This record gives sequence, structure tokens and C-alpha cells, in this order.
Amino acid sequence: MKSNSKPMIKKDSWKHDLKKNWALYLIFLIPASYFIIFKYIPMIGIMMAFEDYKVSKGLFHSKWVGMRNFIELFTGDQFPTALRNTCAMALMNLTFGFMAPVLLGLVIAQVRSKRVSRVVQTVTYMPYFVSAVVCCSLATELLKETGAISQFLSLFGLKEQNWLAVNSPVFWIINCCLGIWQGAGYSAIIYIAAINNISYDQYEAAAVDGANRFRRLIHITIPGVLPIIVMMFTMQIGLVFVTGFDKVLLIYMPSTYTFSDCLTTYTYRMAFGSSINFGLSTASGLFQSVVATILLIAGNKLSEKAAKVSMF
Amino acid sequence: MSKWRKKKTGMIEHPGIRERIGDVCIYLFLILCMLICIIPLWHTLMASLSDGQLLAAHTGVLQKWITADGTPNWSGYLKTLQYSDHAILKSYLITILYVIANVLCGLIINVTGAYVLYRKPKAAPALTIFIIISMMFNGGTVPTYMVIKSLGMTGTAWSLIIPSCTNAMFLIMVLNGFKQVPDSTIESAELDGAGHFTIMFRILLPQAKGLTLVTVINQAILTWNSWFEASIYVPNNKELWPLQLWIRQVVADNADIMSASTPDWNKYLVSYCVILIATVPVLLIMPFVQKQLQKGALLGAVKG
Repeated sequence: MKSNSKPMIKKDSWKHDLKKNWALYLIFLIPASYFIIFKYIPMIGIMMAFEDYKVSKGLFHSKWVGMRNFIELFTGDQFPTALRNTCAMALMNLTFGFMAPVLLGLVIAQVRSKRVSRVVQTVTYMPYFVSAVVCCSLATELLKETGAISQFLSLFGLKEQNWLAVNSPVFWIINCCLGIWQGAGYSAIIYIAAINNISYDQYEAAAVDGANRFRRLIHITIPGVLPIIVMMFTMQIGLVFVTGFDKVLLIYMPSTYTFSDCLTTYTYRMAFGSSINFGLSTASGLFQSVVATILLIAGNKLSEKAAKVSMF
Repeated sequence: MSKWRKKKTGMIEHPGIRERIGDVCIYLFLILCMLICIIPLWHTLMASLSDGQLLAAHTGVLQKWITADGTPNWSGYLKTLQYSDHAILKSYLITILYVIANVLCGLIINVTGAYVLYRKPKAAPALTIFIIISMMFNGGTVPTYMVIKSLGMTGTAWSLIIPSCTNAMFLIMVLNGFKQVPDSTIESAELDGAGHFTIMFRILLPQAKGLTLVTVINQAILTWNSWFEASIYVPNNKELWPLQLWIRQVVADNADIMSASTPDWNKYLVSYCVILIATVPVLLIMPFVQKQLQKGALLGAVKG
């Protein structure tokens, strides 16, 4: 049916649109139902954070307790530890975890041979494909008392021990290193691409003026990739409360909770551990996502200001 | 003049002694980085081919397998196949099934969603926001678990297939792929009487296969490597466990094997073998998809 056969309906009206595109809207029901069921309905489930949730009573009949779950959360004995560890690990991911791929990218870009550069990139990129479970199993194997890393560290006078069982800030370092091992090669790609985009003429001009490689790095390469670094950093600020904790659940143990327990694992234990409290767990999860969203918006604002790039 | 200068003092022709030292440092650093990436996997490979008892007594990293007679010991792999009534073998197959099912479900959702947004009906901006909001906010683990439980999916394979088959970012990526296809292609197809599904799967998808492939590969790897969902949705249904959950179980069990009075040393090797059989396929595929994925990573960084 041609649309101009009905001149009464304006071409840009909703009625016209519905008539013309009804099939499209019908098709959209497929993705829409997925997003509604698995993404939007859980958002309604956030109500549980304000309820004394009982599985037998369900979401709409459980007792409404207002902010009590949050008060219980913030005054619980495990919460301050979990919050401190989360902040510490997030801070390490934001500093060392962020710097590692930048450094790797800068060094790889110094390699003149294309083939060598590609080999290095492929090899360092590889751990990105290794699953979190395998990554943590490898860590368990290498960090145990007779493991390679423990043996290596003992050369420097450190005690031979199972490093994962050490209840100290060492856990934060281990978690940060695991993140770097898995992700540095992957994240470095962006910096390498940015460096390769810098015009070759600039280097040549600098070389003519007598700048050695180190000076060229300082005066051309780094200023050239700085916008990308700033952009990635601000994005990282937004994600720092969300990412980088997936492996904690796999390597922590009750004896190291003082330094390994973080909000993610705390939330998990409250929901699926031995003492189940769904309301408290949801409250903890909600607290986490509120902080994450604030950071995300702040990071995006910062990135708009600093690098003129916005995520949304 | 400028040409001559380039030749005479260009940076490549005259690496001085300081540049040479710099080169050596760079190469040493990169070799170190590569070793750090490779050694853990190499160690695991060699451990899987070793004799369990000798391995347990060994300290440090393995350069080569250690067996009494110097030949690799394959019985660890044999044990892995038979482990707990072929559970690992079955789990291998079911994990492949999960990957295929998730990729297909994700593809259907991404392609249909991206197609509707691509055709720009009047509600398209609102629908885009509808998709993107799910990227910024989420209900969290517990409410999602409750939804899946109330749908009766927990304890079934469905809980590992549909709920995490795609996300907003993948859909937007497919949409970005579609946007590179000129409108005229679609218009002429429509004149030829092609329906919506013909257009999206027969015309748009082949032309936008680059970015779509990135989402497919990412989804496949995500599913292959996932363990958390299974640990909360099907904790007691071992026959539904994906491979990664078995790895976790087997590695955790290793301590018990060691403490037994007469340890089954081949069983001790299973943890190394299962790590390898779960990781090697992905690493073998990697070189073929690396280029596509890197492009995707760059696009993802720019478009968020």
C-alpha cells in the first residue's frame, strides 16, 4: 500500500509510522523481550534492598523495611573491611593496572621490525583469551609453596610460602598482577594503534634536529598518545568499581578475608553463601552500582573536559 | 634538498651506540614480557605430561616433563577422559553446545534489534535509549538470579543459554556494522520484494560481517570461559556444569588427592590436563581472529 493514497494522515505522524512500520515494531519484540526480562525486570528487583525479603512471600509481599538493610550493611563488621579492600584494589587497578598496558604499548611501538612487533603483540595478547578460572588455577599453582614464583621470590630472601594464603596486602598485589597478566596485552593494542597514527614526519623532523630516541619518545610519542591515555583513564575511573574483582572470588579464602574480601564477594556470600540474606545482598549490590554509576558519570564528565570524548 | 636530507640523516640509517643499547633494553624487556605470558602455560603443559609423584616433589618451573624414563606420560589425559564417569568429556561437549546456542540466540537478538534501529522507524531514538540504558544500569546478581529462578530456569541448561547471550554493546556494534551498508542496497532489495528477514539475514548480515563476527567471537569466548553463572544457577546439577566449573572443582580436589595415604598420581595430573584442553582450542583459534578482534577493540574504545 502506497502511503500517498491516504492524504489525510500526515507523513511524519505516529499513525503513519505505525501503519508503515508495524512489522518492524513486531520484530523488535524479540530483542525487547530479552532486554525487558533479563535486564529491566531485575531492576525492579532492586526493591528487595528495601525489604525483609522472604522467598516464600515473594517480591511484592515481603515486609517493607525502608533503609534497615542499608543500616545493617553499613554497620556490619565485615563491611568496612570489604569497602577498604575494594578501594585498595580499585586504586591499584587504576594506577599500576592502568600504567602497565601504557608502558607495554610504548615499548612495543619502539620496535622497528614489523614482524617482531606482531609476534610480541600476539604473545602478550594471548592471556586475554585464558579464562578467569584457568588464570586463577595457574596462579594457585605458581604461588604455592613449591611453585615457581614462590621459589623465585625466595632467591630474594622472601619466605617460601603459599602466597595466596598470606593474610596481608600482598593479596592486593596478586590480584592486580593477575589483572595485568590477563589484560595488559589486550589494552596495549589501543596505545600501539594510537602511536602508529602519529605522523612519521614529526619523528623525522625531530631526528634531523638531533633528538635521540628517548627525546623523541618524550616530546613526540607521549604527547601524541596523551589524549588516548587520558580518555582511557577517565573511562577506567568509571569502571574501576565494577571490573577487576571477578578473580577475587576464585582465589580468596576465609583465612585471608581481612585483606581479600571485597564488596563483590561480600554481596555474593550474602546471597549464595552459608548465611543467606537476600535483602542485605541486594542492598550491598545496589550500593555498589550507585557508586559505580556516580563514578561512570564523573569519569565521563572528566573525559569530556579533558579529552573532548564522551561515551554517551 | 629535503629528499637528500632525509636519506643522509634519516633515523633508520644511523643507529648510534646509544640507540643500540636502547634496542637491547627494549628487546630484553619484551622478551621478559613474553616469557611471563608463556611460562605459566608451558609449565602446565609440561606438568600434564609428567609423572604425578615426581611432579608433586618438584619445585619451581618445569622446562620439560619429568618422568622416570624420560618419555611423556599420557595417562593423565586418559584419566581426564574417564574422570568421574566421563564427566569432563561430557562437560566438554555440553560447553560446546552452550557456546553454539548462546552465539545463535545472541545473533538473532542482535540482528533483529539492530535491523529495526537501522530502518529508523519513528520510535528508533527511544528504542536506542531503551537498549543503552540496560548498559548503564543493572539489577545486580541477586535480582537477576530471582528472575531466572522464578522463570523456572535454574537447574536447567536454559539458565546458561539465554540470560547472558548478548548485551547492549554487541547490539550497538552490529548496528554500527549495518550503518555502513548504503540505503540504496536495501531499497532495491525491497523493490525486488524481499521481506524484512531476507533483508537482515541475506543482505545486511553478509555485508556487515566484520563487526558481527567480532560480537560472535566475543560471545563465544565469553561463554566458553564463563563459570560464575553456572555456579549460581546449576550448582547441584553436575551434568550441566560447563568445563570451567569442572576445572575449579578438579583444582580444588587436588589437595585431597595429595593428603590420601596412597595418592592416585594420575588423578593428580587431571587438573593440569583439564586446564590445557580447555585453553588450547581458544588459543589455536586466536591467531585467526586476532585481527578482527583488534579492530573491534579499537572501535569499542572509540564508540564505547
